[in-house]
Amino acid sequence: MSRHCDVYPPLAVLFLSFQLIATCAAAAPASTPAAAPAAVTDGTTGFTHVKSLGGIDEYRLDHNGLGVLLVADHSAPVVTFEVTYRVGSRNEVTGDTGSTHLLEHMMFKGSDAYNDAKGNSIKQMLERVGGQFNASTGADRTNYFATIGKENLEGYIAIEADRMRNLWLHEQDRQSEMTVVRNEYERGKNDPDNVLVEEVTAAAYVALPYHHPTIGWRSDIEHVPISKLRDFYNTFYWPNNATVTVVGDFDTANVLALIRKYYGTYPRSPAPIPTIYTEEPAQTGERRVTVKRPGEAGTVILAHKVPNGRDADQPALEMLDAILSSGKNARLYRALVDQGMALSAGSGTDLHYDLSLHTLYAALSPDTSHELAEKTLWAEINKIKTSGVSAAEVESVKQQYIAEDAYKRDGTAAVAAEISEWIGIGDWTLYVTFPQKVQEVTPADVQRVANKYFKEDETTAGWFVPLTDKTGAGT
Amino acid sequence: MRGAIATGREATGRMTRVVIAALLALLCGTASASMAEHAQRASTAGIDVITYHSNVKDVVVIVAALPAGDAMAEPGNIAVPTLSGMMLDRGTKALDMFAIADKLDSVGASISFEVGTQSLQVHAKCLKKDMHLVLGLLASELRTPALLPAEFNKAKQQFVGGLQASAQNGGARAREAFERSIYPEGHPNRPHTLAEFVAAAKAASLDEVKSFQAKYYGPAHMSMVVAGDVSDAEVRAEIAGAFSGWSGGQDYIRSAKPGASQASTAAREINVPLADKPSVTVILGQATGLRYRDPDALALRIGTAILGRGFTGRLMSTVRDKEGLTYGINATMGDDSIADGAWDISASFAPSLLQKGVGSTRRELDKWWSGGVTAQELSARKQGIIGDYLVGLSTTGGLADTILANVQRGYDVSWLDEYSQAVNAVTLAQVNAAIKAHLDPAKMVLVEAGSVGPAAGAP
Repeated sequence: MSRHCDVYPPLAVLFLSFQLIATCAAAAPASTPAAAPAAVTDGTTGFTHVKSLGGIDEYRLDHNGLGVLLVADHSAPVVTFEVTYRVGSRNEVTGDTGSTHLLEHMMFKGSDAYNDAKGNSIKQMLERVGGQFNASTGADRTNYFATIGKENLEGYIAIEADRMRNLWLHEQDRQSEMTVVRNEYERGKNDPDNVLVEEVTAAAYVALPYHHPTIGWRSDIEHVPISKLRDFYNTFYWPNNATVTVVGDFDTANVLALIRKYYGTYPRSPAPIPTIYTEEPAQTGERRVTVKRPGEAGTVILAHKVPNGRDADQPALEMLDAILSSGKNARLYRALVDQGMALSAGSGTDLHYDLSLHTLYAALSPDTSHELAEKTLWAEINKIKTSGVSAAEVESVKQQYIAEDAYKRDGTAAVAAEISEWIGIGDWTLYVTFPQKVQEVTPADVQRVANKYFKEDETTAGWFVPLTDKTGAGT
Repeated sequence: MRGAIATGREATGRMTRVVIAALLALLCGTASASMAEHAQRASTAGIDVITYHSNVKDVVVIVAALPAGDAMAEPGNIAVPTLSGMMLDRGTKALDMFAIADKLDSVGASISFEVGTQSLQVHAKCLKKDMHLVLGLLASELRTPALLPAEFNKAKQQFVGGLQASAQNGGARAREAFERSIYPEGHPNRPHTLAEFVAAAKAASLDEVKSFQAKYYGPAHMSMVVAGDVSDAEVRAEIAGAFSGWSGGQDYIRSAKPGASQASTAAREINVPLADKPSVTVILGQATGLRYRDPDALALRIGTAILGRGFTGRLMSTVRDKEGLTYGINATMGDDSIADGAWDISASFAPSLLQKGVGSTRRELDKWWSGGVTAQELSARKQGIIGDYLVGLSTTGGLADTILANVQRGYDVSWLDEYSQAVNAVTLAQVNAAIKAHLDPAKMVLVEAGSVGPAAGAP
């Protein structure tokens, strides 16, 4: 049940996911000053209005600390309701890797009030009304969401709120869902590029929990006991560790009243939400991984750890990636694809709450050597390090971001999903301010971050080397 | 008790209609609750152009299709339709590909082409202020592509490389084997093999591409939808200016139905061995002989949704939720917009659970086929299908894609409104009769692609 642990998608998709991060970074150039916290006086009691920014109103449910973000859009009679829990695979340790994701699956197993036997489970309710819904798990957050006709909003909020604290967590359900998740894991392993990304990531991070894949190690998926899942649920699934985002056609007072009605019954977590204090040690030399499996064409990845997603250098890195990767004029397209060396090539950053991971990749044409592709990727980076980028390149990317701002207003689900990513990264306001910061990036900024972060001794390089014996024998 | 259930069903039916009316009214922004009233359809420069003004601000989405897909390949070379499409964004006689990319990038606009079974599909997006630029570039790309030999060689290389890279893709290989087993020689939906495509791509010539484009690229059977913040008059003026004087084009291949071919289809099991695949892709199904608009097609589609759509479909409820055998399993009908299509269940299983998974799948299929669906299932599924349809229309892209698909299937724009009514009108008897009339589990083809069979090696 996931949109999901595509944290490590196939490289063909990886580039698109990077683009998604890029698109979520496009918002109105003009900023709206953040308002000071103030008591709500519009008849909706129990909430504190925290601030408003870029058309988004932030509230906090006073009773239990639940965060609320409201984005009104009355262009169509639909609403996307999404709850984001600030828990992801970064909160796991050896033995329970994949628990966040397995728990996400278990969240569809029902409760005393809402379940399949009663005919009112969340999936029954949402499919009956034609809702488009799912859930997803990432390294830094887990979310649950549905896009529905606005008249169905209360019914969905009631069930979504119920499973925050009243979920069934039965061993027999874990057993059947474990094999479902294991098949999800197996499907991912069908794609050697997926495996390569996983191994590169594991090599790049040695201390931070981003080292392990969000879907978990197979042995942990198979053996984690239901008691650990219960502990996980009882540690992280509380209103003060969650933010509700509502995008679409709603009345503010009404929707706040519904949120208070269904979430206001819960207290704050009895214990503080655990924090992560682990820090990644400095990397002092190049690391290399190789994946050899049956296949036809190779892949090269160059990964570098870069700052957390909130860092001031991220907009410049975003600009650099667009110049390298966006469209047929992109430098990597010209250098690799147009020259016949690669079927596709790109770059992007998997933004995180802690250290993020920047990746350059090339999916090789059948006759291209890994050495040549890697050398070409480095040549393009080194050109930027030594000669910078042009003002025209920077300006073109800025215009793309301005257009993207209009595009992303067409539909509620994408807006909610992007806000959820920024919640996981640690600051939802970056949904509004990040694209504004991209508009301030200069060519000198791009050259500076290229020199600052793309150092050979801090590289993790990965090669997928296809085995020509497709039967798998003799390997 | 029975009375209470019956009352509940009636109440659900009334609720469905009330909800649909409310959604329609709000989507349209009018008291008449007609989406079709916002659409205008007429021929402009010989193209069937549909415009739709939606509530979005500044955004324009353009989707188009013309009959120039793989099925139109001439006997000499099956790769030419795809290569012809790949040459469209590689420069025009006036601008090279980088100049075009520069113009589009500088305003955040995009144009892309995709070659499918029957059609060349166009997707474009821009701000309202840039519609003149984008329609102008699109027209130039379709009408006066540069077709440079150097670019053609690059396109061939990329096409071949992409094909070769997909050789170990279980989903693609399973689909190819399934479709080749259910569609007879000469059927437009019957794909060529990967090896045939690779050989053809290597042998293709630029002259063949020029000849193909001259014959198939034209307005005669092209449909274009322009949706978003648009006015009909402005769109038509732009299209008239950009496409005026263009001519040619061929119709889709609407082959005669195979008739007895379905009855003569025998059950088969096909293994596609691929090494080192921890998950096996499974497809189980058959040709239906039905096109999208055929009388039984909608009833069968609703029945199929009850079996295999979403998390509450019977397959997901049992094979996944209860038995834990798969991450995903669904049943669909497809490839039937223009020619008669197929029905299939697709799923994935670990090699060790494959036999059990296929067994459970067949059990649910047989139960559904022999026992039919219930009135309660039908009522709930109708409501879900309609609600999902309307939510899908809430974005400009979703709206434009739906209109284009409707037009390709032969509907007028009024189908935007009529679809929900048609779904509601389907009866339980029609659904169960359609299942029996067009499907037969005893004659279905089973494809398993992955680390199965003696040649696959250990997973």
